Amino acid sequence: MATKALTIPFELREKTGTSSAHALRAAGKVPAVVYGHGVEPQHVALDAKAFDEALHHGGRTGIVTLSENGKNVETALVREIQINPVSQKVFHVDLQRVGVHESVHAKLPVVMVGVARGVKDSGGVMDVIAHELEIEGPADELPDRLEIDVAGLGIHEHVVAGDVKLPKGFKMLTAADTTVVVIEASRTASQVEEAALPAEQLQPEVIGQKSEGE
Amino acid sequence: MLTPKRVKWRKQQRGRMTGRALRGSTLSFGEYGLQALEPCWMTNRQIEAARIALTRHIKRGGKVWIKVFPDKPVTKKPAEVRMGAGKGNPEFWVAVVRPGRVLFELSGVTPDVAKEALRLAASKLPIDTKIVSREEAQA
Repeated sequence: MATKALTIPFELREKTGTSSAHALRAAGKVPAVVYGHGVEPQHVALDAKAFDEALHHGGRTGIVTLSENGKNVETALVREIQINPVSQKVFHVDLQRVGVHESVHAKLPVVMVGVARGVKDSGGVMDVIAHELEIEGPADELPDRLEIDVAGLGIHEHVVAGDVKLPKGFKMLTAADTTVVVIEASRTASQVEEAALPAEQLQPEVIGQKSEGE
Repeated sequence: MLTPKRVKWRKQQRGRMTGRALRGSTLSFGEYGLQALEPCWMTNRQIEAARIALTRHIKRGGKVWIKVFPDKPVTKKPAEVRMGAGKGNPEFWVAVVRPGRVLFELSGVTPDVAKEALRLAASKLPIDTKIVSREEAQA
């Protein structure tokens, strides 16, 4: 759950499109859209610094309050963040309007707690298959992450989504038989290299071209 | 070394590598990754050298994902041949890498081992890269 109320100042934007979005970013703002509750989507500009701070304090999964001219206007969930993969700058955000006690769907990151028995004693490798799980529950009580205790897992043992303990009032939406984490036997570097493809460069077969033998 | 098993055409035009990666720019499988910061044609030899550097450093344990595949043939005309008389012969395979592309992913090792392994792998590549981690992405 978010540790404190996260407030992000915003202003409505009248102009949309590439050049106005560029101008907003240059002015330290992030273009965003707020949708939901059957109301027409609103194009807004968020304060980039406040948004970054909110993200670092649980805003990625928790509820945020949008304020216009110092007045709290509505509460929302961050649904999608578009990031430049090189500069890591946010260039657009999708926000969904939610009521404080409304039941919402959310994808939460999975965090492993402890060192698995199979890793510690038998030198296995922990392979996380599902990094996110989808749950449903009250928006104001959404946790930041889902913790899974893996200490008891031996080699070839796994945890499925149905085994994950959820806070009270939450329901798992990811299929219960989805594998979340598995402990695999490790391979040594030499085994990995043996399994690698031959060093010689093979000429690929050309589709539709008959080989000389035919 | 990575090469395609079957192709539709033996030779390809060069194409462009402007812009940034539109796919494969986030960590999908592992805890740590190596992200390209520049565009390049990455040859299958370079990818293989980086993979070997990675697996040799982590020795035992850990899991490695290679997230680029060299599916583009590069042709060359022989030395001292006059221009003309058609396109050269396919010589090697490359992956077209754009800035932001995650090249390798790694999991199941300690942060120190992962970072050193990725640093060694990066030294085999022709471009600037940076190490990314899931922890940082979620912070």
